[in-house]
Amino acid sequence: MTRHLPAIFFLLPLGLAICLPFIGIKHREWCRPLSIGVLATMVPVSFANLIGVLQHGSIHYDFGGWAAPVGIEWVADGLASVMTVALSLVGLVCITFLSSVLFPYLGSRIVPFYTLVLLLIASLAGMVFAGDLFNLFVFLEVSALCAYALVGLAGGKALVAGFRYLILGTFGASLYLLGVGYLYAETGTLNMADLAQRVPPLVASKAIGVGVLFMFIGLGIKMALVPLHGWLPDAYTYAPDRVSPMLASLVTKVALYGWIRIMFWVLGAQAVVYQIPILFLVGMLGALAALVGAFLALSQTDIKRMFAYGGLSHIGLILVGISLGNQTGFVGGVFYLLNDAVMQAGLFFWAGAIIHLYGVRTINDLGRLHGGAGWMSVALVAIALSMIGIPPTGGFFGKWYIVLGAVEAQNYLAIVAVLIATLLTLAYFVKLFERVFWDRSAQQPPLIREIPLAVRIGLGATSVAVIVLGLTSDFIVSFLLKNAVPPGL
Amino acid sequence: MFEMIGGWLQRPNYIAFVLLFLWGIYIMVTRYNLVKKLIGMYLMQTSVIFFLVTTSAKRGATVPILLSTTDVIQSEVYANPLPHVLTLTAIVVGVATLGVSLALADAIYKKYGSLDEEEILKRLE
Repeated sequence: MTRHLPAIFFLLPLGLAICLPFIGIKHREWCRPLSIGVLATMVPVSFANLIGVLQHGSIHYDFGGWAAPVGIEWVADGLASVMTVALSLVGLVCITFLSSVLFPYLGSRIVPFYTLVLLLIASLAGMVFAGDLFNLFVFLEVSALCAYALVGLAGGKALVAGFRYLILGTFGASLYLLGVGYLYAETGTLNMADLAQRVPPLVASKAIGVGVLFMFIGLGIKMALVPLHGWLPDAYTYAPDRVSPMLASLVTKVALYGWIRIMFWVLGAQAVVYQIPILFLVGMLGALAALVGAFLALSQTDIKRMFAYGGLSHIGLILVGISLGNQTGFVGGVFYLLNDAVMQAGLFFWAGAIIHLYGVRTINDLGRLHGGAGWMSVALVAIALSMIGIPPTGGFFGKWYIVLGAVEAQNYLAIVAVLIATLLTLAYFVKLFERVFWDRSAQQPPLIREIPLAVRIGLGATSVAVIVLGLTSDFIVSFLLKNAVPPGL
Repeated sequence: MFEMIGGWLQRPNYIAFVLLFLWGIYIMVTRYNLVKKLIGMYLMQTSVIFFLVTTSAKRGATVPILLSTTDVIQSEVYANPLPHVLTLTAIVVGVATLGVSLALADAIYKKYGSLDEEEILKRLE
């Protein structure tokens, strides 16, 4: 039974996504409880899978009984299992939030809406487990298609933002597929474990070098690495307020996870392409992303856009962590990735809630929040502390391990990048706090007196989660060190 | 130099792939009409599929169905089936992407009454 848990984890949302259009013909009101129910079932399944993996080692699941290099394989090792736990928990909170009564009623569109959300979750699970480069591509595209449609759902400006996202995302996917084609032409296999055997001796060849570069650029567009991030700010700003938390916290992070898989499990940490160590290249781009993202966030006035740019800077920080070439840095990066999923969800919950509770979209209007907003202020402070990196929140410990790894690697540039990014993050949150807590000019009562339960759950869960992640960071990091470190690092 | 160009000319399929790929990107970047952008996008996707098929082509090879079940299997007689299978999946992905993108373009047209990107950006403000 344990052996089948990865497939069950994936089939739960996929099965409901397929059934939902039929159920929705008669019982439109069932969409919401069924979706939340399925996500709630995925949480224990992911935990059972994690425990099974810890007890019996990684699960290699062969679809249709065809053994690995020929058939399609899914790999549930330590890292993938931890990711699925994070995916199911964040997904559950996000889907609870997006079903809140706060948001405009969807009418007949509720059925396709929940179908898309469930398909998105299923395809992200598929990306986490994929043990095959082409399988990763297929799930990448399924998740991206759901994301385009969900962004466009808001209508108006979101349509244009979604269209741009689609054009750039498809360009990235084509580059990724081309890279996969190069690797296949050179090695004759697509299975990651098999490639890990065959690529290292060939890594100096042009086909592998160019293929890896194409794959990196392709995934870079999907994870919105800074020079390639053009689609993200508009897409996340204009996306419906109910889905932006899910998109921001999960989609880019899982694309980043895909790159971690390829970089460490296929190419190997020591891979050198065209005399450039890949880790060095990734680290430089990550440092650039961390700084540029934070700078751009500082200059925004739209709240959602500011958080979107903040997310870009955090993608950079994660890349800085994993590229340090030692276990401390890698684990710090992965821990920060988990934190970032929670923090991005929390920030966009907050932004979505104030847009609908107070009608506030820009920082200048935030003065309206003053007083009578206990929930909103506490949640903002908790998540902001984690974003900035102040103990005892998870964000602090993530950055702490990244810096420790940088000291170990004697990479002082990385330390400087992390510190400057932290200061810039502090600066844009001070800008936010100043309006929320000291600006009394435009005080007004909220449009809705009572904060809806789903919003409270969303904000409460993420605020508690950042602190719990911080308090248990020692445990999580030693756990990751033991179970989720790639071979050869 | 001439040897290199001569070597390239031996592989017209790859040259065709590069031309199609760059042409697709060129259309995507330079055209303002959203549908034309989509045509460029589809051209680019198709060129990648063309590349995958090309890598599996083999002179004088037949379809990968065993000619005889008793003889020793000779791999050079059969074409490599895997890229074709990848291609099928990639085509399905491409068609799905095109469907979503046309739906978005249609919604944009209904909302802004134009498919010209500059016109739409003007109306956004």
